[in-house]
Amino acid sequence: MSALKPGDVIFDEARPGASREQLALFSAGTEDPNLVHTDDAFAKRCGFHTVLQQGPMTTAHFGLLLAARFGARLKSLDVTFTAPVFVGDPLRLLAKVESVGDEIVVALGAAKPDGTQTARGIATIRP
Amino acid sequence: MNMQLQGKVYPPYRLRPDRALAAKMFAGQGLAGAPAEVPPTYFIYLRGETRGVNLFVDLDIPRDRALQAGQRYEWFAPIGWDDEVEVTARIAKLTEKQSKSGKLWFADIELEYRTLPQRTLALRETTRIVKRG
Repeated sequence: MSALKPGDVIFDEARPGASREQLALFSAGTEDPNLVHTDDAFAKRCGFHTVLQQGPMTTAHFGLLLAARFGARLKSLDVTFTAPVFVGDPLRLLAKVESVGDEIVVALGAAKPDGTQTARGIATIRP
Repeated sequence: MNMQLQGKVYPPYRLRPDRALAAKMFAGQGLAGAPAEVPPTYFIYLRGETRGVNLFVDLDIPRDRALQAGQRYEWFAPIGWDDEVEVTARIAKLTEKQSKSGKLWFADIELEYRTLPQRTLALRETTRIVKRG
C-alpha cells in the first residue's frame, strides 16, 4: 500500500436510498425495535414526515468501507449524526486523510445530494 | 431522564455473533450475500435490550422522544463468529441542556465487549442517546 498523505481520498461512495424493506431488515439485524424506522404513523407522531433511516446504518457503511481498506488496522470510528436521513434518501460517503503520524486520522462525512450533511466523524488507523 | 442512574453498571450478559442477524444488517445496507467476517459494527447497544439492559425504560426515554446522536467504536482485538463475548454496559454520563425548542437530555452509554474465556477486551462501544423534552 502506498504511503497515505493528508488530503488523500480513502473513499467517495454513493449509496442509493434505502427502501422500507431495507430499513426493516437493518432493524431486525440490529435488534432495534424502534418503530420510527418502520412505521409511518409512528414516525409522524415523532415529528418526522416519514420513517427514518437508522443512524447506525451510516456507521455500518463507514465501518465496512474502512475495514475493507484497512482490515485490523482500523482502530476507532467516531460518528456524530447531524441531520435525519429518511427512507429513500441517497447518501454520499466521503473519507479523506486528515493527518498522518503515530496514527492515520481520517475525516468522514455523509451528505444528501442537496449537500445536507447527515453525519460527520473521525476514524483512526494504525500505521 | 433518571439522572441518578449515572455511573450504573449493569450485570454482564453474553452474546455470540449471529450470522443470520449479520446477513440482515448486510441486506439492510443493500449489500448482497452474507458477510465473511463479523461486521465491524455488528455489536451494538440495542442487543442489550432483550438481555437485561433496557436503557430506554430505565432512563425513562420514550421511543417517540428518543434520538441517537452518535456512536464511537474502538477495536482492540478481533472477534470471530465462534467467539462468545461478555458485554458490560455502563451509563457513563447523563447531562441536561436547554435548547431553543426545549430541554434535551443526553445519555452516554459505554459498552465493553470481552472475548471469553480469557476476557480479552476486544471492543469498546460508546453511544449517545438523546431524549427530547
